[in-house]
Amino acid sequence: MNKEKEKEDGLKELVLARIEIMPPNFKLSIGNFGTFTKQEMINSVKNEDEAGKQIIQMQINFIKALTSGELINTINKNDSYN
Amino acid sequence: MILITSPKYDDGTEYLSYYSSLILKEINNNNIPVKNFEGKEANRGNVIKFLQKKNPKTLFINGHGDEKTLYGSHNLLLFSIEDISLLKNKLIYARACSAGAFLGEKIVENNNGCFIGYKYPFSFWIDQKHSATPSRDNTAKFYLEPSNEIMIFIINGRTAQQSHEKSKKMMIENMKKILKLEEKKEPGAMGMLQILWNNFDGQVLHGNPSARFEDN
Repeated sequence: MNKEKEKEDGLKELVLARIEIMPPNFKLSIGNFGTFTKQEMINSVKNEDEAGKQIIQMQINFIKALTSGELINTINKNDSYN
Repeated sequence: MILITSPKYDDGTEYLSYYSSLILKEINNNNIPVKNFEGKEANRGNVIKFLQKKNPKTLFINGHGDEKTLYGSHNLLLFSIEDISLLKNKLIYARACSAGAFLGEKIVENNNGCFIGYKYPFSFWIDQKHSATPSRDNTAKFYLEPSNEIMIFIINGRTAQQSHEKSKKMMIENMKKILKLEEKKEPGAMGMLQILWNNFDGQVLHGNPSARFEDN
């Protein structure tokens, strides 16, 4: 297995783990893609269909914001929006 | 005058429509003339005809979208890149996916208009226990109340930039609330935060930041 594939699989596992811990009564509305129950999200991510790719992309954006410090800086600087 | 489109044909648009109805109340309370195309009425024929006849300067578009298109009832075309001339010099808030990535920029190119929208899909969690009554869904509120704030500020005479920033500020306040849920080990808090971050990061303003509601 090459490194790129390993990284993709690791990311997919992370996305699936995050979906798994969502409350069972939650559904996600993703605009044009539709509204998804947990199981539908899991299926989409596993199948890597268009909605699944979008769910993974949102996770990538979030991880980038977390690891770069952008998320925490934004929250801490909220006073500048007054 | 304000033009609203509010299609209602799936879970997502049901919620947008409910939150749009709150804006309609605010508009009526302020005695502002408004035309609300709701449900099946939110179609291209009706809306284009109204734009040509009445030329409203403020538009609040709800529904689905993509980089080059905004959709009306039943995901049928409302506006595309071909309609730019009709949408120039207006203040537009599109609560729809992705139109802020391309269409919005094109609409305000070389004119005095302003477009607030999203460069990513506008997303939100729904609590199925309350999906029949969006008003009672406290989960969806985290995402939809900050978006309503844009129109509330616009109606009350603030600039597009002030309205955009107020909405972002409310999103950050909601992120803090979600982080408190995470501290209490509420399941799914990080998943909720992730989606709110996506909307925050994706919300963009193109064009004239000083644009305001004009009572035409």
